[in-house]
Amino acid sequence: METHAIDPQAMMGDEGGARLLLEAHKVTKQFEGLTANRDIDFDIPRNAIVAIIGPNGAGKTTFFNQLTGIYAPTSGSISFDGVDITGMQPHEVAELGTARTYQNIRLFQNMTAIANVQVGRHVRMRGQWFHAIFGTPSIRREEEEVLQRARELLELVGLRRRTENELAKNLSYGDQRRLEVARALASDPKLLLLDEPTAGMNPGETRQMTDFIGRLRRELRLTILLIEHDMKVVMGVSERITVLDYGEKIAEGEPAEIRANPRVIEAYLGKQATA
Amino acid sequence: MRGSASQLRRAISLGLITGAVMLYLVAVGIVLAFSARNTITGVVTLGRLMLAAPPLAAGYVVARRGTDLAPRLVAGLLLGAVSGVIVAAALLFASAVDIRHILVRISPPLLAFLAFDQDASIGALLNLALAAALGLIGAVAAVVPSRVRRPAITGVIGVVVISMLEPFLRPRLTDFKLEGVSRFLFTHKGLSIASAIVVFAIFAVGSVAWPRVRARYRARVAAADPGTQATIRGVTLLLLIVFLLALPQIAGSFLSQVLVFVGLYTLLALGLNIVVGYAGLLDLGYVAFYAVGSYLTALLTSPISSLGVGLPFWVALPIVILGAAVTGLFIGAPVLRLRGDYLAIVTLGFGEIARLLFLSDALKPWFGGTQGILGVPPLFGVAKVSVPILGWQLTGPTLTYYPLLFFCVIAAIVATRLKYSRIGRAWNAMREDEDVAQATGVNVTNYKLLAFALGASVGCLGGAVFATHLASVFPGTFNILVSITVLSIIILGGMGSIPGVVVGALALIGLPELLREFAEFKLLVYGGVLVLMMLLRPEGLLPDRVRQQELHEADEEEEPGADGGALTPAEQG
Repeated sequence: METHAIDPQAMMGDEGGARLLLEAHKVTKQFEGLTANRDIDFDIPRNAIVAIIGPNGAGKTTFFNQLTGIYAPTSGSISFDGVDITGMQPHEVAELGTARTYQNIRLFQNMTAIANVQVGRHVRMRGQWFHAIFGTPSIRREEEEVLQRARELLELVGLRRRTENELAKNLSYGDQRRLEVARALASDPKLLLLDEPTAGMNPGETRQMTDFIGRLRRELRLTILLIEHDMKVVMGVSERITVLDYGEKIAEGEPAEIRANPRVIEAYLGKQATA
Repeated sequence: MRGSASQLRRAISLGLITGAVMLYLVAVGIVLAFSARNTITGVVTLGRLMLAAPPLAAGYVVARRGTDLAPRLVAGLLLGAVSGVIVAAALLFASAVDIRHILVRISPPLLAFLAFDQDASIGALLNLALAAALGLIGAVAAVVPSRVRRPAITGVIGVVVISMLEPFLRPRLTDFKLEGVSRFLFTHKGLSIASAIVVFAIFAVGSVAWPRVRARYRARVAAADPGTQATIRGVTLLLLIVFLLALPQIAGSFLSQVLVFVGLYTLLALGLNIVVGYAGLLDLGYVAFYAVGSYLTALLTSPISSLGVGLPFWVALPIVILGAAVTGLFIGAPVLRLRGDYLAIVTLGFGEIARLLFLSDALKPWFGGTQGILGVPPLFGVAKVSVPILGWQLTGPTLTYYPLLFFCVIAAIVATRLKYSRIGRAWNAMREDEDVAQATGVNVTNYKLLAFALGASVGCLGGAVFATHLASVFPGTFNILVSITVLSIIILGGMGSIPGVVVGALALIGLPELLREFAEFKLLVYGGVLVLMMLLRPEGLLPDRVRQQELHEADEEEEPGADGGALTPAEQG
């Protein structure tokens, strides 16, 4: 088995493009009078690891869902890799090169591990129903490639070979988290969005996960956005942190700055610092 | 001892339930209806066996638990006795008080049957004794090792099945100049005692021998070199094809008619399987596509339809498929946003709308209202085909069988290929979690529409063939029961499983056609079968490998070292 089978070049963003992979301008989201996000300006430089933090209910997930097309912003605009994605459908945003994981793992429970990853590859496949029905050589080749690729990805995230035909729901918690990452990586994303990737993990597992995130950026040249409510997790791994509170951006900067920012301490860290 | 006390309590409560089930079977009339069928002439009828089945099965269930022999057997006996007491009490009550105005089926012949043609009090005692004995036999079956139980059960099933097939086997055996076999097997519409013993023995021995023969055969195939394996596969496939082609000739005209129904419903179920089994869209209005296939075929091919173009079937077929696919899109589009129960209700409505449209006076100039469309020519343009060398004369069902077989094979291949492709996986993902599937890049809208359109295209083939088979179409054929029957076939066979669909169609369509007495109780039996399946084997008779795992993961052992989830991103990387 080749260990460096995943070619970093294949996943690399267009280095010649703009410096910013994602730009959000004055994004506002209202739910029947409740303003979940207000005038948020946010961007992600290519090949960076950035984090959005904030206490529970700060509007992190709402913002995240607008980046991935699940909600359309009430006002403001979002562009990804030079394309205006404001109001696009989730599958369209995914096709442009984003992939995500979920805070409370959401795998395709009753499908095998390998099939989960194969579905993750969906947007990069071209086979249509008529190809499938007639079993054309092109679709056979594509299927073989995808199977091969899915196996490589399972290996990359550290899932043992024999688990590939297990149903996703029968995997252990840690394996399910890894499988979710493999599924997200399968689409060759430019931007990987991780929603509380260390939720439910002990300190040891958390450290392994943050190491792994760093490795993904290095080896696959990925740009990564983390969402966390636990500030300690993101301090080590991300180079820029954005803090949301009550739906507004209250601070942005390097981890050291954020740690020292009085508004952040007041809104968020204050309780923890005194605890 | 507390364990055995609770076992006895369980025996009593199960006995009460068993007694109630027996009374129910008696009161709906199903037992008496089948008492005209001899299983072993002069010994036992099918009706009697039906009444015997509940205490047998319950005795087996109650005695499966426990370690000590005596309490288990006592539990079975007690259970049988309790159920017998209920039946006996009911018999005495019904003999003393006339309750026919409430339960119309409780007729004097029924009471006489129940009392073994004896006086009511003697009959009651006989029932009590018999039920107790059956409960005990059931318990014994649970106690003996499975190498004894399996052959015994297989033998009994063999006797019942062979006796049920008597009306069809006998004339066929005569046709094939095997009157001797026929005369030995059957007397007075049932097996003779001697033949019953022989049949029992053959099946019992077969159940022991078959797995061994198969295992040895498989081992030899596995040991052979790849070239030989390919040859074996080819020959097996060839034999299967020859068998399927010759089947109507072996089965004769009546059984061919049954096969045509089975084939029709297999085709419908293969189509619905795409929608329900793969994509997880619970469509209760599937009959609409069957209707569209039938009506379009009739319109296009019948010279006396409103169109009057009289196209040949094979020319009309592509138009029919296209029409059905478009109908699938029309029905699919408004329900795209609906999920689960809501989807089921709305599609149910669409199914009825389709039927009412074809029935309506407004569209009578097109579809003929209640009169339907007549004059649909036979599928090959002629009513009779002679096969030169073999000397076969194909007419009616023996002729319709072939296109149905052809379409079923095509549909099965299409379904299999879709299942193991990007498309099938996208459908499965959608079934599992629509939101995540979309976020993963599946265009949910398109894939739902595709499922409806492809499901409709397969379903319309059934309608097309059937219109030519009956030479006419009537709106009455396309009622909600068709949708429900097709769905039942899928559930019985196993969602998403293609062999399961065939088995489901054989069981739910083939069996009732063979047992004419069933007709009246068909829906009752369907309901009972579905409830039992959901309780005992929710994955279906012949489940998909993955789906079986899904419903029985609790049975599997926890694998040691399946790990508590420390994240170890590939050290080799």
